[in-house]
Amino acid sequence: MSEPSTLRRPTNTGAGRALVAIYGVFALAACSRAGVQLATRYSEAPLAYLLSAVAGVVYVVATFTLARGTQTSRRLALVAILIELVGVLSVGTASLVDPGAFPRATVWSLYGIGYGFVPLVLPFAGLAWLWRTRARAPSDRV
Amino acid sequence: MSNGCCLDVQSLRLRLLAPVALGLVISWLAYVVIALAGVAVLWGLVTAIANKPPGKAQLIYAALVEVVTVVQSLIVGVRLVLGARVTEPATTVGYLIGIVILIPIAWFWANNERTRFSGVVLAVAALAVLAMTLRLIVLWNPALLG
Repeated sequence: MSEPSTLRRPTNTGAGRALVAIYGVFALAACSRAGVQLATRYSEAPLAYLLSAVAGVVYVVATFTLARGTQTSRRLALVAILIELVGVLSVGTASLVDPGAFPRATVWSLYGIGYGFVPLVLPFAGLAWLWRTRARAPSDRV
Repeated sequence: MSNGCCLDVQSLRLRLLAPVALGLVISWLAYVVIALAGVAVLWGLVTAIANKPPGKAQLIYAALVEVVTVVQSLIVGVRLVLGARVTEPATTVGYLIGIVILIPIAWFWANNERTRFSGVVLAVAALAVLAMTLRLIVLWNPALLG
């Protein structure tokens, strides 16, 4: 899916495909987790479960926008990944400072400890990938 | 004594449907899935390090892992329908569905552009199947948590 009009490398080739796969797994994990939580015991911890749902949506958006690899989609991907970064840092910190507010784990609780801290690393990997595939002057191109 | 046969059938039925029995019966299959998926993870990483796209044998192997995973989900699904009790049935069903859709999607995503990263894609999906199956084992055997 090359775009002749742009000097950007699409986000959906090479290593980007592995990144999309990881985002896809987290989209599935976060969404199904949120779905189960909201459907079966919403009243136990509404905040944590709604955050799970937000995480799921963010992962879904990041997965599909990175996989599409157009100029518009990379802008959306940037937004999603920035929200993801803020989310994992703030929820991670909040769950550490005030565990009572998060009686049940979300994907981002304790910086994603339940998922091998991948949720903490993933937004940085996403931003790094967007940076690597950014627009460059023709002379810089390999 | 006169109704010994009926009691036997009843206890057999209970054994088939009790949570512990469910765990014991299904565990070996779950461990097979974990072992198969573990090999798929390693295989994917090896071809990625070797800078090769996944070969035919590797893709067929991924399909085999998928078949065993589907069989596992079907067996557990049937047991649940028959009335087997597990802790967190909703989570169990979510995982049973989740683990069967990962490898097919990864398979096509890996084949759509064949590079070393195709192997990473397969490895990621297989690792997710492995992790979710481990989680299922814990769900079926709450005692494992201590």
